[in-house]
Amino acid sequence: MGEVIVITSGKGGVGKTTTTANIGAGLSQLDKKVVIIDTDLGLRNLDVVMGLENLIVYNLVDVIEGKCRLKQALIRDRRYENLYLLPSAQTKDKTAVSPGQMQKLTEELREEYDFVLLDCPAGIEQGFENAVAGADRAFVVTTPEVSAIRDADRIIGLLESKHFKKMDLIINRIRIDMVKRGDMMSVDDVTEILSIPLLGTIPDDEQIVIGTNQGVPVIGMESFAGDAYSNICRRILGEEIPFLDLSKGQSFFSRLSNLFRKN
Amino acid sequence: MVKRSSVRIAKERLEALLVADRVHCKPKEYDLICHELYKTLSRYVEITKEDFQVSITRSAIHIQLTGEEH
Repeated sequence: MGEVIVITSGKGGVGKTTTTANIGAGLSQLDKKVVIIDTDLGLRNLDVVMGLENLIVYNLVDVIEGKCRLKQALIRDRRYENLYLLPSAQTKDKTAVSPGQMQKLTEELREEYDFVLLDCPAGIEQGFENAVAGADRAFVVTTPEVSAIRDADRIIGLLESKHFKKMDLIINRIRIDMVKRGDMMSVDDVTEILSIPLLGTIPDDEQIVIGTNQGVPVIGMESFAGDAYSNICRRILGEEIPFLDLSKGQSFFSRLSNLFRKN
Repeated sequence: MVKRSSVRIAKERLEALLVADRVHCKPKEYDLICHELYKTLSRYVEITKEDFQVSITRSAIHIQLTGEEH
């Protein structure tokens, strides 16, 4: 039986979709069978970030409405064995899917996949309710900014009221130079405020923009963010990976020794 | 002139925002809650304002009494 994980944040633009894409790709590289689902009805994005937008035939709403079989809507990513995408619909009707239907869908998928990752839309409306309905675990993504942390706190509160037991924090877009001069909240500042377990930190990395331009997850590239995502994936599988000491930055040699530690 | 670190400002603003969000009140009302709690408790327990602290988390309101053992 696979695990169903929702990637959520409250605020938009903090990196939910990029995180879903990279964790999905990363887990599949570690030989897990993974399906990533875009639950943002009307504003689909995960397919574009993954570079799979031209392969869409059917979508989530088609599956729910019974217009196609589940298997027909799943797009296999040729670059990664065992990675599948269920794209969202680009229609405006946000009520086309209900939490109950999502729950049924994820139950079906977890029979066959090790991980079902749900990319949650921003906000706390119906789209959020749908995305969390079938999940047994949540990754809360935030950035070290007042508005993002405030929304993350709200989301965590909502998940707590739904009796979510497993919630983990991912802090995205950390800039060490700014933390050092006291102009950006540190990892410790953010975890202290939100007080849920930390799963990983992602440095602000221009490689993310480059990867998104090309429709390629950074996890395959030699990059700080890619390394950070691959650490997250290994932690998900239960490995104990020390957190990158972002305060020091990473020298060439420490990167090199990290590389060897992986093997 | 010493520049105040923007992180400190951010943390202060966040603290006020989160408390207000968590108990659905305005920041001013939080002060009022603290004051009322203090007033009520001081009727039964010997405390001073300095020893008394209220913190509001997502699921609980903690009242802390520090200083001498009570």
